Amino acid sequence: MTAQPSADASGLAVRLPAPLVTLLRRRDSNVFFLLFVLVAAIVFFTIQSPYFFDDRNAFNIGRAVSITGIAAAFATLLMISGGLDLSIGAIMNASGLAAAVIMVDPENSIILAFAIALGISAFIGFSNGIIVTKIGVNPIIATIGMQFVVRGMTLATRSGSALVRDRAFLEIGQGELAIGTLEIPVPVILMLATMLLCYLVLRFTQFGKYIYAIGDNASACRRAGINVAGMRIALYTLSGLGAGFAGIVLAGLTGAGIPYAAGSELSVISAVILGGVSLSGGVGVIQGTLLGVLLVGVLKNGMTLLNINANWQMVVEGSVLMIAVSLDQLKQRI
Amino acid sequence: METQPVVETKGLSRYFKGVVALNEVSVSISPGEVVGLVGDNGAGKSTLVKILSGDLEPSAGQVLIDGAEVHFRHPRDAKNRQIETIYQDLALCENLDIMENVFLGHESYRNPLLRLLDRRRMYRETSQLLEQLAIRVPSTRELVMNLSGGQRQATALARVAKAGARLIILDEPTAALGVNETRNLLDLVMRFKEQGKTIIIISHEMRDVFEVTDRIIVLKRGELVADKRTAETDPDEIVRYIIRGRD
Repeated sequence: MTAQPSADASGLAVRLPAPLVTLLRRRDSNVFFLLFVLVAAIVFFTIQSPYFFDDRNAFNIGRAVSITGIAAAFATLLMISGGLDLSIGAIMNASGLAAAVIMVDPENSIILAFAIALGISAFIGFSNGIIVTKIGVNPIIATIGMQFVVRGMTLATRSGSALVRDRAFLEIGQGELAIGTLEIPVPVILMLATMLLCYLVLRFTQFGKYIYAIGDNASACRRAGINVAGMRIALYTLSGLGAGFAGIVLAGLTGAGIPYAAGSELSVISAVILGGVSLSGGVGVIQGTLLGVLLVGVLKNGMTLLNINANWQMVVEGSVLMIAVSLDQLKQRI
Repeated sequence: METQPVVETKGLSRYFKGVVALNEVSVSISPGEVVGLVGDNGAGKSTLVKILSGDLEPSAGQVLIDGAEVHFRHPRDAKNRQIETIYQDLALCENLDIMENVFLGHESYRNPLLRLLDRRRMYRETSQLLEQLAIRVPSTRELVMNLSGGQRQATALARVAKAGARLIILDEPTAALGVNETRNLLDLVMRFKEQGKTIIIISHEMRDVFEVTDRIIVLKRGELVADKRTAETDPDEIVRYIIRGRD
């Protein structure tokens, strides 16, 4: 590679080595940074706790983050396009409850449960998209409003479901799939599959390209003839679908429809941002979201093993997010 | 008999909350003509261009393409009639590379059903296109955020050339360019003209306007005040129209 132009480093108080500057300038430099921090955290907890580095514990972490991860994959697409969905937690509850209530009756098929739960979720997401694009309401306001509406309607209908006994439904949340000697929890596989799907969409399709393009310059996209409003509505609908699917997996995990997921949109959004997606849109990759989700999971699990109080865990989680975003800001001065 | 105009407006008006941005403007542009659109700030040049590009709908009046009335509701509608516009802000996505911007809205697919992008083919075609246009850039994989003003302009021009436009509208193309870059741009406009394309160019630079245009249209406060053949006028007269309007 050629020498760095002199103007590049001149604005910096500290001179960084050229390869490091090149690395930091990459579109996906966050991914390397997160990978480094994740490995560091794993090494730290392995030294500190004899129970940490173990496949059972790894799957505990995986199971714990899978619900957030599934919703975060679709939220990543939406957020790269410059959108935001604060109704994710409410949709998860509505969807999980709907699926569980249907599955409590052994006469009903699992396909019916999926169809109704995902149908409700997609409809809510679609409504978000219409309110944001066609009426022009700010996404924060629109989706907070939707959060209250959905939460209220869910609780007004049922406060919870009875226990589900259907094996197939419970397998979605509690099952394990043997691959070689490893028994991988089904939710982990579902999360990885969801992430892979979103990765392929972002990397190889026109839809993925337009997600980045709209996040950077929506008016340029409109002028290039792209149906920006249609894209946005599709992305809010997908975000709703992702949340709805996560809600079904959660219901399978808990074995009943319990509105546990209230407020989980903030975990989802903070994982996505930790992964390198900017709230103003246009940047981010799905690998970052995966690492963001895993890092939060590892930190929570490790701190629990070290008997660190849940309140302090929250402090650490928040600090990590703020440090990551601050470093990203500083990076832009390079 | 006169040739059928490529684009024609009849009594075209646009109001913004009671402000008249464009007032009953009627112009007619023939195939292969290069027309300069000049006027002071707020004269209505951008409004007229936005209506022709489908970015804005008129409040009253008609737009005719090849003699038939059209109603553009979205820039897509104008593009479907082979009208391409290079906006003052260039309308590029900074986070995409040159090829991705050139093909924005015109992608080639490896699998049309899944809309899988054929990136290799698009990179190849972008290189060929830039070569044809004698545009030099470091690499078609360079992100637009890393490009100079001239290179950005070249990217926007390449997109228009790619789209195969009949009518090309350039909004203040030289405003952000250096001397050499302006030269290259004007050369490129002449090359488009040689290819038989019709061009509307908005500019403040009298020298540029007089160099490339066949005809000059002057707007003032939303009204058409002059429509002169470039060969039959001079910069002083045009400037007088811009400042004083119709005598």
